[in-house]
Amino acid sequence: MSIGYETAVVGVGNTKFGKVAGVSAWRHQVEAVQLALADAGLSKADLDGLFTESQFTEPLLLHGHVLGQMLGIKPAYLSTCSIGGATAISLVQQAAMAIHHGLCNVAVCVYGDNPKTGFPALFGKVQMGRGQADSLAFGMAGGPVMEARSAMRYKHDYGVTDEMFGAVPIAFREHASRNPNAQYRDLLSMQDYLGSRMISDPLRMLDCCIGASDGAVAVVVTSEQRSADCRKRPVYIAGFGAANNLDGLSDPTHYTSFAGKRSSSTAYEMAGLGPDDVRVAQWYDCFTSTVLITIEDYGFTGKGEAGPFALEGNLTLRGRLPSNTSGGMLSEANLTGWNALAEGVRQVRGESTSQVDNASVCVVSGHGGFQASHATLLLTEATG
Amino acid sequence: MVDLLTELVMGTTPIVTEETRPFWDATVNEELHVQVCDECGARQLPGGPCCSRCWSMTFHWERASGRGQVFSYTIVRHAFHPAFADDVPYVVADVELDEGPILTTNVTDCPVQAVRIDMEVEVHFAQEVNDPFGSLLRLPLFRPIA
Repeated sequence: MSIGYETAVVGVGNTKFGKVAGVSAWRHQVEAVQLALADAGLSKADLDGLFTESQFTEPLLLHGHVLGQMLGIKPAYLSTCSIGGATAISLVQQAAMAIHHGLCNVAVCVYGDNPKTGFPALFGKVQMGRGQADSLAFGMAGGPVMEARSAMRYKHDYGVTDEMFGAVPIAFREHASRNPNAQYRDLLSMQDYLGSRMISDPLRMLDCCIGASDGAVAVVVTSEQRSADCRKRPVYIAGFGAANNLDGLSDPTHYTSFAGKRSSSTAYEMAGLGPDDVRVAQWYDCFTSTVLITIEDYGFTGKGEAGPFALEGNLTLRGRLPSNTSGGMLSEANLTGWNALAEGVRQVRGESTSQVDNASVCVVSGHGGFQASHATLLLTEATG
Repeated sequence: MVDLLTELVMGTTPIVTEETRPFWDATVNEELHVQVCDECGARQLPGGPCCSRCWSMTFHWERASGRGQVFSYTIVRHAFHPAFADDVPYVVADVELDEGPILTTNVTDCPVQAVRIDMEVEVHFAQEVNDPFGSLLRLPLFRPIA
């Protein structure tokens, strides 16, 4: 039996995002877990699955052990995962699979960090891996430097203009302006975008996600059957997919198309849905180019056509595919994709501060690990 | 020990490993080498414990021409790592070697704004340095072919 529509997100919780002095990463995580369980109408006693991503300020191999101990729980299933920006979506998928196969019943997926006001993020040669980190010697340091080479080739091959990139942060900021928890809320003009400082050509400051945010997000996943008893209307996990282009930019075909193509196709097939059914999207928006390339990979436009699509206003509430309706990592907070997951759930529930009419199907993407890993989630209002 | 740990977290010099030693040893003699599979002939960088295409564990290293083309690049204008504060702006480029593999490197010896996709480049080598465990190496850099 397919796992599509067999599980649901029944709770979502987040702490304050941005600059939150005096709150540890652990406290953010615990607060998000408590809020998500309360949102679901469930309690500590119900929780038997814990799925975590370690904070970057304390990159722990056994992160879930520490958090689980702090929470005083003895979960049946425990997993700590790290596949870069695809981790949030991947953990929800793991939770859905564990629940579907009876290994746990109520799972919490959680991430939280405080690099803005706490310890600095620790991500150096050791985390990148001996021998794999050699490109650091050439100044390949920082996410924008990684992604810029993809963006440069994408602009070169498809005639994508600066203004097409600019349409992305302008649209997402419009959404953030209505979200009181967003780190950046002032509206942007194209002039603001074009005047923003070049960071790593062709990426300007406004092409790049927020550098650091404090905050945490947690979601509760349970079975379709159990979801009926929860406090709020369930958001069904209709389909999901994953794919990994592990040789990243060593492969010339990976600059202008990502593993999202395979990942989304698996998710569409599982859910019996296609791009035409999707009403709203929460993209992993580490950079504007990532968003445009992912829109193409997911079949919303042809190759090289996402730029004009964005420039026509299609990523706003007035367009065909309202995207990153909380502001995303470009404007709301850099919670490595976890805030996109939370917003996807809220859209389908009708709880967003930039609510789309009839948000019956929402797609959420996760993308990262040096351009290699991708994961897709299709969230729906209706069962299959 | 503290110095070594600091280097492991904050350092930028490559660490020579079992898999990459033939590559770095060759750079000391100002030669660029690629790993070649004895079974299927695939060429790869960085060096690995097996051929990533056919999984053969037998391979050798071969001197490459040192020539290639810029597949993509970026002009880095903001130093995300303090080690590069004095270097900005600089070019990080993905050079597709004539032998096939793509190498992430720097394009030097020309104004940063002169770099283009498909530009023909050739290798040259930076000053000799020691890795954190004392192995010698020279970073392979590229410059436009005049």
